[in-house]
Amino acid sequence: MEIEFINSCFDFDQRFELKHIDWQVESNQHWVITGANGSGKSALVATLAGYADLLSGELKGVPKKVALVSFEAQAELIDRERKKDDADILDVVSEGTAVKDILAEGDTDAVIVKQLLGKFELEYLLERAFRALSTGETRKILLIHAIASSPELLILDEPFDGLDASTLKLLQGFLLELSESINMIMVLNRCDEMPDFISHIGYMNAGHLLHKVARADTLASRELLQLLHLKTTDLDIPATDNSSANTLLESDKPLVILTDICVKYDQLKIIEHFNWRIEKGCHWQLSGPNGSGKTAILSLITGDHPQCYSNDIFVFGFQRGNGESIWQIKQFIGYVSTALQWEYRVGTSLRNVIVSGFYDSIGLYTKATDSQKSIANQWLALLGMESRADESFNKLSFGDQRLLLIARAMVKHPPLLILDEPCLGLDDINRQLVLALIEKICKGGQSTVLYVNHHSEDAIAGIDLYMEIDKNPLNATQQD
Amino acid sequence: MSNNYFNTLTLRDQLEQLGKCRFMHLPEFTEGVDALKGKKIVVIGCGAQGLNQGLNLRDSGLDVSYTLRQAAIDDKRQSWKNATENGFTVGTYKELIPTADVVLNLTPDKQHTPVVNEIMPMMKQGACLSYSHGFNIVEEGMKIREDLTVIMVAPKCPGTEVRAEYVRGFGVPTLIAVHEDNDPQGQGLALAKAYAVGTGGHKAGVLMSSFVAEVKSDLMGEQTILCGMLQTGSLLCFDKMIEKSIDSGYASKLIQYGWEVVTEALKYGGVTNMLDRLSNPDKIKAFDLAEELKVIMRPLYNKHQDDIMNGKFSSGMMADWANDDQKLLGWRAETAETAFEKTPAGDVEISEQEFFDHGILMVAMVKAGVELAFETMTAAGIIAESAYYESLHETPLIANTIARKKLYEMNATISDTAEYGCYLYNHACLPLLQNFMKTIDTDVIGKGTSLEDNGVDNARLIEVNAALRSHPVEHIGGVLRGYMSDMKAIV
Repeated sequence: MEIEFINSCFDFDQRFELKHIDWQVESNQHWVITGANGSGKSALVATLAGYADLLSGELKGVPKKVALVSFEAQAELIDRERKKDDADILDVVSEGTAVKDILAEGDTDAVIVKQLLGKFELEYLLERAFRALSTGETRKILLIHAIASSPELLILDEPFDGLDASTLKLLQGFLLELSESINMIMVLNRCDEMPDFISHIGYMNAGHLLHKVARADTLASRELLQLLHLKTTDLDIPATDNSSANTLLESDKPLVILTDICVKYDQLKIIEHFNWRIEKGCHWQLSGPNGSGKTAILSLITGDHPQCYSNDIFVFGFQRGNGESIWQIKQFIGYVSTALQWEYRVGTSLRNVIVSGFYDSIGLYTKATDSQKSIANQWLALLGMESRADESFNKLSFGDQRLLLIARAMVKHPPLLILDEPCLGLDDINRQLVLALIEKICKGGQSTVLYVNHHSEDAIAGIDLYMEIDKNPLNATQQD
Repeated sequence: MSNNYFNTLTLRDQLEQLGKCRFMHLPEFTEGVDALKGKKIVVIGCGAQGLNQGLNLRDSGLDVSYTLRQAAIDDKRQSWKNATENGFTVGTYKELIPTADVVLNLTPDKQHTPVVNEIMPMMKQGACLSYSHGFNIVEEGMKIREDLTVIMVAPKCPGTEVRAEYVRGFGVPTLIAVHEDNDPQGQGLALAKAYAVGTGGHKAGVLMSSFVAEVKSDLMGEQTILCGMLQTGSLLCFDKMIEKSIDSGYASKLIQYGWEVVTEALKYGGVTNMLDRLSNPDKIKAFDLAEELKVIMRPLYNKHQDDIMNGKFSSGMMADWANDDQKLLGWRAETAETAFEKTPAGDVEISEQEFFDHGILMVAMVKAGVELAFETMTAAGIIAESAYYESLHETPLIANTIARKKLYEMNATISDTAEYGCYLYNHACLPLLQNFMKTIDTDVIGKGTSLEDNGVDNARLIEVNAALRSHPVEHIGGVLRGYMSDMKAIV
């Protein structure tokens, strides 16, 4: 068996569409399809059971005998049973179809049915009306029916939902046995329930099959599961401790005022006559070609540019060059960039990296308080990394490092959060991970965000002021 | 021309000064930079130390400007560019020195006498003059005006590192001292502490020492184990491998990066840990080689320490200064022509462990050099803390420069004083080890012992381990590294 989707688009009664699916399922593979709610994962597997209209593209090699167990199929059967109930008309008490008859429907193997009923200890249900069963019982009966129909392809949409622990274990064991003879595709929301025999994972997003990953590629599958976690977790961004610098700010003053800025090296002027005011709560996106001085402007604000002392810069209540230290400035800023990641070559633990955001240091050189550690743990939970808290930062993948540095930047809920091309150098999965995290942050935080970025597809909802810096900085334009 | 200050002291004072070195704890720095707040700091010289220290001090909220010679300003030399591009005020001595509350003299040793002679008359009454190395005071006997406070703040790292660590939110270990003959207002210590805080040094550990102890231990360390031993070791190990037909690219790489890898182990856990990275039979081998090396080289280490103590070294070097650095430049050119220096590292993979397994002799050389330098310094009255910092502690830093650009980079990074001493050592040590090297084969350098059986005699192993662990450099190292990791707060 080899099933092949080639650029296929499907329609589900005009309620939902699947777009440009390219997917191959080979005979020795067992897939899990996952994604956030509404991403189309159930729809994708339902196409294999003939539940959708193919609009364009091809779908080849779907085997004749496909068994699908899903909430939808379950609901459909229950609906059918309800329609059969003509008790009102005949004025008799109708029981509907008995479980044993449901199980005999189609071309099921009575031996397997018997064996499974025994295994799940469900023999006592045989004479009952299917309609009278509890949701969990219905589920199990349908599973038995599907398996007993000896399908070539078994599709299980959330098979573990609503099962008690002992049944779950039984079923998992049974599926493992079954996996040697039957191809399986599962839809799972919670990937901690993913059976070991699953060989591939597909990730759905907005009707697209966005990622296909072989489980043997441990790094890629971990990233995929992390993305799923960030997209589906109901955790919010953690609160900060009481050391936040927010309270030190005068409420009526702009966060930043740059006046007639000039930056030059030797005789080369990088920036000239540049002015900018950043008011509290006004998020900015900053764009411009390489070499236009974006990073120079940001580093004037953060105090990392030595010429911040020879320019007219007001930041967070300080007119620069009057005896303030850069640590007094940095306490108001969270900062993420590729350059920071290059600088952050530290063998310290993931937890310490997040805590270091409280001290604006690269590495941790101060004893963390218990509340800081607990906040760091909450961030790790949000990122889906809590089990890796004590791993070494420099052993992490590039994408995981970036996520952690974003958490580090946010941990103190800084009045100004600077994201300097936060997706630069990241592959697709990691880009989505980072954007998912930033979106969560923008939604939940009180930070004013300054976002440097070139790609329109990486736009972040809620950032509405736009600054474009031309090669010739005199042409900097601001738009509202 | 000069009047060696150390030699004017009584033996009692000499010993007292040499014995000064105390690790200062973080709570001693609660005043932060207050003692320097609002004071005008003028830095002389804008090289790597001058620029980077100035950047740190300014970022700590202090008022920093630079003064350069008129010619450097007129020609827009690199030092002028360094200062102006970083947004500092730059002026001539005449313009800025009279306004300064604190003058930081961060010029090379050999310019100290002319520079100090020129600026001293312009300095404000009661101002402070700071050095980062005590050579001028101790070896040349420079007399400073009585109303001036004289201090030393010496970050124990190259200038770029001083900046990089500060930006990370940390600092580099720093040595501070007050010249007791010049502390008229009793403010020297407060100023030195504030300066160390301004460069971030207090976070990494500050040693309170004396001008004398700093000079005598610093000179000894840099000439022998730090630069001398690594240079001599590089040349000998490379030539041996070539003689034994090992691929020259491999040999070059093993040495260039090997020092860094093996001394990284030294940094974390001292000589013991460095040798513990070897298998048991290899460890015993390295131990035996090091014992042999120590016997051969001990007279040389003694001679270096003696010459440093009695001033012979500095007067010899100052004679070369007066002779337009003829010796220094000649030796520098010679080093550039050595086979090791001219053979680029090959494109071969060497795992971290392989650097140990194939570099047993290098491990032995580091062990012998560290222990000899430490033993010689402490025997001469230098306190263990100073001796530790100037031997074991700094070795990885120098090894790192070799990894970057071989001996060239090492000699370019260190001071001319260190470089001069390094060549002196190298010239004496190469012939000294000639016979020893004849007994050496590729099992200890280049190929490894590749024994089939790693078995060793229990009694012998116990003996070797005990000897390693009970060396005094390991004792003080354990204590000081303990402080350091407390400060790094690996929570």
